[in-house]
Amino acid sequence: MCTYHKIKMKLIKHFVFLTTLLLFTTMTITKIQAQEGKDLFTVCAACHTIGGGKLIGPDLKGVNDRQDEAWLIKFIQNSQALVQAGDEIAVKLFAENNNIPMPPNNLTDDQVRTLLKYIEEFDATKVVASTVQEKPAETVSENIIEPSYLRKADARKYGTTFIIVLILIMLALADLFVTRFIKAKFVHLIVILIAIFIMGEIIVIEAQGIGRQQYYEPEQPIAFSHKIHAGQNKIDCLYCHSTATKSMHAGIPSTQLCMNCHTVVKSGKITGTEEIAKIYKSLETQTPIEWIKVHNVPDHVFFSHAQHVEVGKISCNECHGPVETMDRMMQVSDLSMGWCIDCHRTREVQFTNNFYKDYKKLHEEINSGKRSRVTVDLVGGEDCQKCHY
Amino acid sequence: MNKVKYQILKSAFFILFLIVGLSSCNHDKTKPGYAYMPDMYYSLAYNANSENPVFKNKMTNQMPVPGTIARGHMPYPYQAKNYLDQIAAGNELMNPVEINLQTLAEGKVQFDIYCMSCHGELGDGNGYLYTSKLYPMKPTSLIESYVQSKKDGEIFHVITVGSLSGLMGAHASQINAEDRWKIINYIRNDLAKK
Repeated sequence: MCTYHKIKMKLIKHFVFLTTLLLFTTMTITKIQAQEGKDLFTVCAACHTIGGGKLIGPDLKGVNDRQDEAWLIKFIQNSQALVQAGDEIAVKLFAENNNIPMPPNNLTDDQVRTLLKYIEEFDATKVVASTVQEKPAETVSENIIEPSYLRKADARKYGTTFIIVLILIMLALADLFVTRFIKAKFVHLIVILIAIFIMGEIIVIEAQGIGRQQYYEPEQPIAFSHKIHAGQNKIDCLYCHSTATKSMHAGIPSTQLCMNCHTVVKSGKITGTEEIAKIYKSLETQTPIEWIKVHNVPDHVFFSHAQHVEVGKISCNECHGPVETMDRMMQVSDLSMGWCIDCHRTREVQFTNNFYKDYKKLHEEINSGKRSRVTVDLVGGEDCQKCHY
Repeated sequence: MNKVKYQILKSAFFILFLIVGLSSCNHDKTKPGYAYMPDMYYSLAYNANSENPVFKNKMTNQMPVPGTIARGHMPYPYQAKNYLDQIAAGNELMNPVEINLQTLAEGKVQFDIYCMSCHGELGDGNGYLYTSKLYPMKPTSLIESYVQSKKDGEIFHVITVGSLSGLMGAHASQINAEDRWKIINYIRNDLAKK
């Protein structure tokens, strides 16, 4: 009896172990398959939904019941081949969907089966919940070292020093005329002189800052982050500020341009849907977003982005600083005249530009005796915008 | 009596000095600060993107008057998200850009700015935005037969007004027509042959 019991227990144990093992393996396999199916479906998602209605192609909900598997495999692998072969269902589907061909997919039969299984088991309510939880991989490191421009911005706070020095002066004056605590009058004099010197320096630095907007960081109507778009997503500056190579202005992208990505990306990692919803509102109501210009130069200064970016081949960072680290845009350079001149004195001209070829040609013609003089119109003096800009 | 008055005046002067000193050192980064004698700082003409009280919609940048064509711009007659128009564009538009090393290099520069984030450096659809899972849908591979079998004009149409599915937006405002043709040449003659 006892041995029988033992053997029974052993068998049960084995059975339990094996079933759990089997269960786990099947679960992992289905899980892997589901993940693979999901990855494969990202290609389909451009034109199809599962239970979300018709997009470019038909809704794929229940597609496994509508057609048999062998036909589906053929159609998904190369739909146009079936249409051209005169397959009845394929021709009908092609006509129903405005004669827009479905691109051929380079998939094996098993891959298509995985995909079909994914479509069959797809549960819309579950996916909505999981996409909200699924945060994109964090690529920007969290332990941020404070950028040097921020340290400099904070170091400019002279307020406390100014007040301390001011109090020193007042104390010295009070002692000089009222309390007369220190007899030697030159002590007062030295204290006052040093204090006035420090105050003078602070006043000069502060006065230089008047009319300049270094470290200006206005609050924008949408909490747009360059750190996410240019830093984490690695989108080129020129993708949005595309006129920087062609025009005087680097340009503010239109709301329509935001929609190139935000038709799909509807929720951000930090602000959720709140900030992105402002784009949709702007589109719906046809009212432009009133961004606040950060980098201002006086209107009597002519500055052209095209000249600097396209001809001079200066990268954006050289003037605008590490924009890809900024959540809110900040003016890092002081944009003073001295700052402009400093760069113009040290930077070498890019002679590779076509503009200089004209000069080179003129020089060669003078040297070879073909030409005796160069008039202004030959170096662009007849261009309208030389004067009328 | 006079002495007291004098001292009150003196302390008032110091307090005033203190207030002026304090307020001038206030670095509120969200405010642009003050300008000193801003005679020619602000011109009377309205700046390109500024608000404008003259027009009803309060914008300085106005849309072109209906029936006019801006200098250097070709009107584009084909509709977005219309398959027949896409085919028509493919048949009627010809690539005017000569293929040589220079135009291919220029095409690469444009491709790297405007296409690479999604379609990938190699044009295989594995762009950084997709591989990092920041964007959920796989962009189309530009080097496989689906895109390669299309005519240049069809690809031009998609770049200009966007794709049929609407997932790829119109890029006409960012890339000018010549650069679009250069990008197509680069995809066909450089990327697809790698």
